[in-house]
Amino acid sequence: MSVSLLLIPLGLLLLAAAVGAFFWAVNNDQFEDLDHVADGAAEDDPAPPALPKEPP
Amino acid sequence: MNAAGAHLHWQREGGLEQVEFFAEGMHCANCARSIRTRVGALPGVQQVEVNLTTARVSVAWDPQRSRLGTVLDAVERLGFHAVPLNGTAGSAAQHAERRRSLKRIGLAGLAAMQMSMYTVGLYAGALSGIDPWIEQLLRVTAMLIAVPVMFYSGAPFLRGAWHDLRRRSLGMDVPVAAALLLAFFASVLNTWRGSGAIYFDSVAMFIFFLLVGRHVEMNVRRGSLNAGEALVRSLPATVTRLRADGGSERVELAAVAAGDRLVVPLGAVIPVDCVLESGSTLVDESLISGEAVAVTRDTGARLPGGAINLGAACTVRADADALHSTLASMAALIERAQSARPPQALAADRAASHFVFWIVLVAAAVAGLWLWLDPARAFGATLAVLVVTCPCALSLATPVALAAATTRLARRGVLVTRADALERLASIDTVVLDKTGTLTSARMRLGEVRCLGGLERERALALAASLEQLSAHPLAAAFTAATTARVAVTDARESAGRGVEGSAAGATWRIGRRDYVAELTATGLSADAPRDDDDEFVWLGSARGFAAAFALTDTLRADAVAAVNSLRALGLSVRIASGDRRSTVARVAAELGITDAAGRMNPEEKLMLMRGLQQQGHRVLMVGDGINDGPVLASAHVSCAMGGGAALAHAASDLLLMNESLGSVAAAIQIARGTRGLVRSNLRWALGYNLCAVPLAAAGLVSPWLAALGMSASSLYVVERARRFARSAA
Repeated sequence: MSVSLLLIPLGLLLLAAAVGAFFWAVNNDQFEDLDHVADGAAEDDPAPPALPKEPP
Repeated sequence: MNAAGAHLHWQREGGLEQVEFFAEGMHCANCARSIRTRVGALPGVQQVEVNLTTARVSVAWDPQRSRLGTVLDAVERLGFHAVPLNGTAGSAAQHAERRRSLKRIGLAGLAAMQMSMYTVGLYAGALSGIDPWIEQLLRVTAMLIAVPVMFYSGAPFLRGAWHDLRRRSLGMDVPVAAALLLAFFASVLNTWRGSGAIYFDSVAMFIFFLLVGRHVEMNVRRGSLNAGEALVRSLPATVTRLRADGGSERVELAAVAAGDRLVVPLGAVIPVDCVLESGSTLVDESLISGEAVAVTRDTGARLPGGAINLGAACTVRADADALHSTLASMAALIERAQSARPPQALAADRAASHFVFWIVLVAAAVAGLWLWLDPARAFGATLAVLVVTCPCALSLATPVALAAATTRLARRGVLVTRADALERLASIDTVVLDKTGTLTSARMRLGEVRCLGGLERERALALAASLEQLSAHPLAAAFTAATTARVAVTDARESAGRGVEGSAAGATWRIGRRDYVAELTATGLSADAPRDDDDEFVWLGSARGFAAAFALTDTLRADAVAAVNSLRALGLSVRIASGDRRSTVARVAAELGITDAAGRMNPEEKLMLMRGLQQQGHRVLMVGDGINDGPVLASAHVSCAMGGGAALAHAASDLLLMNESLGSVAAAIQIARGTRGLVRSNLRWALGYNLCAVPLAAAGLVSPWLAALGMSASSLYVVERARRFARSAA
């Protein structure tokens, strides 16, 4: 049973990692707009810059 | 700490000063009430409005008796921080609060999951034997995880309870914090002793459920309440302005001033009230008026800020800056409606406060009883009673329902400008309609013109138009549309419902009702005057006598018949009270099938009629154009004014029909009645839930985590019903 001496602190570390990852995501606005981000793919690209005219 | 200059602070009419700010740290109805009562008790403070949802506070006071510093200090002493209000600060504060709330939920949720595993281990160990040192290891680990959950995730409840106690009031956070602290410290004690049950997992789960409940509630309330902010948020941050030299520049919306020429691209929101400079375009004004069909606007037409340009890119000239646009006034009115708490909600708040007192008492009794019967179960039962009976659902029931109704009405183009209007609207039994501008279209046409004193027609019209252009009365537009000629008018003043007076070309002129003009002329009419005494005409005259008489005709609104019929279908009696001539009123009444119609009423007579109806016990809704009906609208149980423009600026009425559609009146009454039903059933549900839950919890049949779930679910149910009501087809 002495393996729990290793596994329980390991579990704590994993918990800390999970909480850390979640906090990072919140701080970086990953949860700000859950509805409309995917719409971006369907939107038209901004008009490409006009090509320089070929000399005749 | 309070840089007074940074606050939105201005002189109001009536010699009062007013300030608006965010109260940081306000998170419950109790906090809002303590601000209202404490700040309201300061000398000279006339009005305190607190918007719980946006944490916005508005205070008006007499500068002779109090100063800005006094007001702000009082707020700080209550434990809140007065944050200056400026465009982005508010949404930044909301944004930060949302982030904090999410982080608290995440920590509590992850920790609760982890701890349930230790609990399983402890249970299994208790049944099949476990090394004492492993048991103690699991306990200590659970405690390690519980500390941040308790003091980071649970901080809002602990802080809320602390503020409540310091203010000597019992808020919702008090029983919650008591339960949390009891469970946490009992578990710490048992961990220390190395024996007995630990409740760390229950604490984490309770905090998790409570936080999720509050988070959802916060989102729903913000989503449905902040109709005003949604309006403002729909505006673009920057606009394209045309410079005098023909070039263009991007400027911030706030930098736009009246007279600027702006380019509005296709599909963009029109940023401010403006006039279309050239061409014509299609605009969707649904945000302003609720009118779903896009309309074509031609050169010279006025476009309200907030409309969407669907036709073609166009150039417009700004009428007003962004702060004074239609949209800004609407947002301010909605804000006002939401800050004042209706009596219904106040009563629920008071009830909730008494309720908390009883919970604490019952919890103490339950603890005593179980200690006597079975000490081992005393702790769990007391905890469950404290948790299960949180009166959140009770105090949420009314505000969320009213917020939902406001949203729904806004979609129909009806703006509610007073918090308690809906409550009163649900109970009315009589509708009094004004005629001009209400039943009939505000657009009048000029008919016959009779010149009386040797003045030629064009000159008479120019004089009339110049005087009337200063008036907001519906009749005025007929004159200003009839001719473009103008003369310079000075010293103009309007006499409500009677006419306009002003000096032009070296004489004082009056235009309006015959008796009004006659006061000035002091002479009789010439022989060729129209003989109809029933003021068929609008009269123009100076001290030298009557100069001209103008016949005006108006037409019934397209939806008037249907609207009156739907009002009758709701069981309301419908009357007409108009200042217009009797024959016209009778004609309109006949077309609408209304028997009680009175014409030629001046504002005092309308007021008498209103008082008479009220003395007979009727509850009256007055629908008018909002301009010359001011006193009558004010004395009605509920008042409803047509349209934007002048009505929006004065906003003396409880409801504004932004789309000028009479049909919305009946819809609004229906929604108000629906809201009343929703409020009542919400309150019944909240009470019923508590009446069932308390005995079960007191009997020890509800475990603490189940109590936490039940409490959160009861609040969410109330919020969800309001959300459904807001979304249901209007």
